[in-house]
Amino acid sequence: MRNRLKVLRAERDWTQARLAEELEVSRQTVNAIETGKYDPSLPLAFRIARLFGQSIEEIFLDGVERRP
Amino acid sequence: MAEETRGRSWTRCGGTTPRDRRNQLRVLWTMAAWAVCFVAGSLLIEREVLPVGAGRWTVAALPCLAAVLVLVAYARFLREADELQRLVQLEALALGFGGAFFAFMGYPLFERLGAPTLDVGDLGVVMALLYSLGGLLGWRRYR
Repeated sequence: MRNRLKVLRAERDWTQARLAEELEVSRQTVNAIETGKYDPSLPLAFRIARLFGQSIEEIFLDGVERRP
Repeated sequence: MAEETRGRSWTRCGGTTPRDRRNQLRVLWTMAAWAVCFVAGSLLIEREVLPVGAGRWTVAALPCLAAVLVLVAYARFLREADELQRLVQLEALALGFGGAFFAFMGYPLFERLGAPTLDVGDLGVVMALLYSLGGLLGWRRYR
């Protein structure tokens, strides 16, 4: 699943370690999510969304086109 | 600067969280206690230092008690682990347990062809090696 985590992190000039600390996960987890190797659990996705003040859908893109 | 320092302390243990590191250390300490109990118990029983009776049974039971502590510590580690760490552990356990099971189910065919006979202790070694390999592969996949 694609996501905008790296962009959002870069906007705040945070390191992966700083973001990991904010989310209370490992830096490895942040890296794996950013590179698309790992999809976060729903509770972690909510924490990410809350941290950046956006909805989950604005951060995580499922790649499926929605019908109008 | 303060943020950087905070970030370093969060990930100073190879990218794991401080809680995971603490729990991993607890597992290692209990495993060390089990190893000491097992080796000491084996030596005491083998050399017949203890008199026949309850003392020997107590010494033989000590590794079992230590093993319970290891399992409790490992279960706690898994329960509280970072979610990616939990996935890596699951894959490592699957490779360790599943690999050892199928290796030992299939090995008798090689024994019939003349390969050396293995015992239960070897099963533990195969399981530990495959579990370690699984952990290493998981760490590489998600690093």
